[in-house]
Amino acid sequence: MESYGLDPHGLALLEAYRALRPCLERLEPAVVSKVRADIADKGLMVTAVDSRIKKESSLAGKLSLKGGKYGEVTDVTDLLGVRVITFYSDDVDKIASMVENLFDIDRENSVDKRKMHELDSFGYNSLHYVCRAPGLVPGADDIRFEVQIRTALQHVWATLYHDTGYKSGIEIPREYLRDMNRLAGMLELVDEQFCRIRTGITDYRRRVETLVADGRLDEVALDGDTYRRYLLLRPFDRLNRRIAALNQAEIQEGPLIQFLPLLRAMGMETLGDLDRMVRERWEDAYQLAVYQLGVTDLDIISSSVALQNLCFAYILRQGGGRAGLRRMFDTLNGPSDSNDILADMICKQAETLKII
Amino acid sequence: MEITIKNENEVMYCQMNGRLDTLASQQAAKDIQPLLDHAEQEIIIDCSGLEYISSSGLRLLLTLRKETARKGGKVIIRNIREEIRQIFLMTGFYNLFEIQ
Repeated sequence: MESYGLDPHGLALLEAYRALRPCLERLEPAVVSKVRADIADKGLMVTAVDSRIKKESSLAGKLSLKGGKYGEVTDVTDLLGVRVITFYSDDVDKIASMVENLFDIDRENSVDKRKMHELDSFGYNSLHYVCRAPGLVPGADDIRFEVQIRTALQHVWATLYHDTGYKSGIEIPREYLRDMNRLAGMLELVDEQFCRIRTGITDYRRRVETLVADGRLDEVALDGDTYRRYLLLRPFDRLNRRIAALNQAEIQEGPLIQFLPLLRAMGMETLGDLDRMVRERWEDAYQLAVYQLGVTDLDIISSSVALQNLCFAYILRQGGGRAGLRRMFDTLNGPSDSNDILADMICKQAETLKII
Repeated sequence: MEITIKNENEVMYCQMNGRLDTLASQQAAKDIQPLLDHAEQEIIIDCSGLEYISSSGLRLLLTLRKETARKGGKVIIRNIREEIRQIFLMTGFYNLFEIQ
């Protein structure tokens, strides 16, 4: 067995570590699955849950530096380390609270570097809990392990800082210390800004939900979120059913999200604009369908027919003509010569129906 | 109705010739089985020889679309004649497929 130049006390601790290792190997997956399961239960998203058992050589290094500090090997609190990396800084608190409920926390040895940060202005926020998990794995009740919680950006900073080879802010040359601190500050701002954006988007979606539910559609700008919300109201169903009734056709659900760029290109700025098109071009859209499908025995349509015909009617009534229809097909299907054929086809039908 | 299928470089090529009406669709449903079996791939259907398509034919294409969507593949329809293009447009099927 390698002795790593340790004194007798250090060697005794190392021997105890070797005896403890099988237990650590059972504890590691148990702790990780408990953390992962709870994260999933709470619907939280994290980038990673990593873990490691301290290597013998690493422990030996620690013991050679400060072996006298430890009476027993279980006094070393990071023999097992688990790291949870979150996307957002406010999720660090949520995971922290989760960890507090899952395990017994050794408060005296747990460190919230986010608070230390205010004091010495060095380092980057992260949260370390020293924990025990009584009853989780037989024989492991006395083993303490560390759970580290940080954001992805905090992790990047810590990893790159670790790469410098300096263990603390005291060791690093002052000129580089200043640069590392500047970076830490910048990343902290970025983390905060991402949180603010996420909160803003959540608030926006709630506000939109209320406005749509209250029918205040003119107050809702047309974008991906609001359009999806509007589609939940099934605004084209009635027209689709009326069209389907022509041939007792079945309606196949088709994607409507691809119409969003077209609606924007047509000048629709709010859900109110879209809703007005449905109301005002309803009859034109239906008459187009009558003209097209009425003389066929086609008994299957896609649910995009109503919106497609509404767009035809809107463009033509706005005076967009053939060029407008061509642009519509270019937007929906991508530019192609065959879009001219489609535009001509609809123009001819519209002329007959006096939509042009 | 004649359906020819070949698998080349991870792409399924299908040539449809004739009238895909209700009667022909029954046999066609069996003929396209290799396409359904390889729905994780890109499927290119050449319709240059397709003279007519009925609702049953559209349903057949829809089955193909659903299977490719489920397995991660894609259906591309090429060279459709004007009459078929019109049917795709009036039924809204134009928005369901990539038509080249």
